[in-house]
Amino acid sequence: MEPKVEDSNPRPPDDTSAIQPNGWLGRMLVWIISGATPKCRDVVRILSEQMDHELPLLMRFRLRLHFSVCCWCERYMKQLHYIRETARRFPEHADEAGDPVLSPEARFRLKHVLNRQ
Amino acid sequence: MKQLGAEPFSSAAAGSPMPPMAPRRGGAQTNPERWVDEHGDCLFRYALVRVRRREVAEDLVQDTLLAAIRSREKFAGQSSERSWLTGILKHKISDHFRKLGREMSFTDLDSLADEFSEKFVPEGYWVHVKGPKEWKPDPDEVLHRAEFWQTMRHCLDKLPERIANVFMLREMDEVESKEICSMLSISESNLWVMLHRARMALRECLEINWFNREK
Repeated sequence: MEPKVEDSNPRPPDDTSAIQPNGWLGRMLVWIISGATPKCRDVVRILSEQMDHELPLLMRFRLRLHFSVCCWCERYMKQLHYIRETARRFPEHADEAGDPVLSPEARFRLKHVLNRQ
Repeated sequence: MKQLGAEPFSSAAAGSPMPPMAPRRGGAQTNPERWVDEHGDCLFRYALVRVRRREVAEDLVQDTLLAAIRSREKFAGQSSERSWLTGILKHKISDHFRKLGREMSFTDLDSLADEFSEKFVPEGYWVHVKGPKEWKPDPDEVLHRAEFWQTMRHCLDKLPERIANVFMLREMDEVESKEICSMLSISESNLWVMLHRARMALRECLEINWFNREK
């Protein structure tokens, strides 16, 4: 009855999932919830879609349930939001992002064009 | 004393040559040459990240500053001058891609298709030891901010071009996905596939090169 995949896919020490596959009950819970919710490969696709349109309530609930046994998908979701927040700030900080810069010729040309206005 | 303190304000309002819509820069005039000096590199680099070709990026900066001259009366100084100019540039970039979208296909379902298969076991779960790590905020964030933006640019530059295009329209220019689909003539489901791949690749790149880097 117990999920074989857990044995061949060890969890690293930084696993912070709320429900751990420890003991008989833990293993059963992880197995049941994993079976009742989408697989991680699909969860990450769904999480990306969630950034662009609202998901049905039932799907949002299934994702929450999935997070209880999978801290990796939950981290993935937080990181997508982090990427969105930082990406939005990028345009105004582009000059801090290193080379290349406007060439002196381009700078001169720009000023020349602007001054003619 | 109060009278004295209020004086510079009233005289500025009464007879100063400062235009009423001037930006909040200690009364400096809106001077297009100064825009080139202060914001030119920022606008250019942003445009270059977006279009990847120097001459196109330079043209976009020029169009942006010309549009800024025409609309500078409308700039009310509510935002910073830089975000005002960046906002104009974003519109110019959208126009640029809208035009390209009529000439070429923006759909790319081939790139990055199998790139992340090694992250998942055949049953569809994460290979746990390769799953996303906790991203701890950098304690010296302010100190390392420029490095972070460099890493971000490096990761964006590594994305396949058309996937990068849709990602940046969505996440930097904040264009709604339906609008992107009509701009570039791509289907919504194809857009989602491309955005998903962009996010996955960018996340991976930031994790390796920033959050997990040797400090």
